[in-house]
Amino acid sequence: MLALATVLLSSPGLKGFFENPAYLLGIPLAVLGAIGLLIALSPVELRWPQPGPPAVAEAEMEYVVGEGHPTASTYVTVGLILFVITVFEVIVYYVDALSGALLGILLSLSALKFLLVVLWFMHLRFDSPVFSILFAGGLTLVAALLLVVLASLGASLV
Amino acid sequence: MQHAPAVHQAETSTGIDNRKLLMWLFLASECLFFGGLIGTYLLYRNRSEGPPFPTDTVYNGVPYSGVFDIPFTSISAFVLLMSSVSMVLALAAIQRNDKRGLRAWLLCTALLGMTFLAGQAFEFTEFYREGLTVHSNLFGTTFFVLTGFHGAHVSVGVLILLSLWVMALRGKISAKESLNVELAGLYWHFVDVVWIVIFTVVYLIQPT
Repeated sequence: MLALATVLLSSPGLKGFFENPAYLLGIPLAVLGAIGLLIALSPVELRWPQPGPPAVAEAEMEYVVGEGHPTASTYVTVGLILFVITVFEVIVYYVDALSGALLGILLSLSALKFLLVVLWFMHLRFDSPVFSILFAGGLTLVAALLLVVLASLGASLV
Repeated sequence: MQHAPAVHQAETSTGIDNRKLLMWLFLASECLFFGGLIGTYLLYRNRSEGPPFPTDTVYNGVPYSGVFDIPFTSISAFVLLMSSVSMVLALAAIQRNDKRGLRAWLLCTALLGMTFLAGQAFEFTEFYREGLTVHSNLFGTTFFVLTGFHGAHVSVGVLILLSLWVMALRGKISAKESLNVELAGLYWHFVDVVWIVIFTVVYLIQPT
């Protein structure tokens, strides 16, 4: 990653960097390496595969549905927060005084809504970290894809 | 935290239910699918050679009104967001074995999803009347492909929800089968977060 950052900083610009196929080929490997590094250094303990308990009769089994999931009132609270954020987004869009910071504000609010839904409604905050790693892996690849395509072809958000 | 009833859950070598693992893998791959479509939209944004344009634009000295109706789309976004709330309430209901609550919230979610689809159909029709088609310019092509595929995903979600609702009506879903509702919920919430991104990137953030 350090080498990648050095190359990025020393190149004439992102566009120039992405025009070099030799660098482009290295990006997926660098992304995979970064994911591996994050997993290795993560303080979260991965519980991967654990030997199951000996088979018992179904009537004797103890299982709990939705263990650790929030209650309905928590879901409603998160829903209200999402509603307020959406209203705020639309207000910000129409306030001329905030036009300079519009991009930053909208992206931040959107990211906040995204995280609230994913962490609470999709239970990533409460479920096995394996699911979080899978989803974060997909998002990382998307970020790499967008970075390569948009930077190399000269597009931008604004 | 509430205490849920005891139910059966299949043992796996990973300690994680395989169906749930597969759903998350599918959602991770869907990130790339929609990432590609959003990237294409961003790439060709503001490169249309001719109207209609998404927002008010002066092109070759002639002013054109934008086709986007932000208040209307905000309501659509709000409807889809609230459908996520009702979906998760359906899951909470069946996890405490409240079958009546499950049926009510599942139907509510499906109806909200259909409301969103109706709004999208109305929006597409209005755009068509203003001259925007999938062939008209780069904006039309990338916009309709992106939002059309999202709408197709919502449609599939509505079908899944209605199937679950029929199963619930016939008494085939109890706390024991709550994973079916959870998996449908994961798909539905994913469709919702994709719209959160589309609403912000496509509708609200406009090139200066």
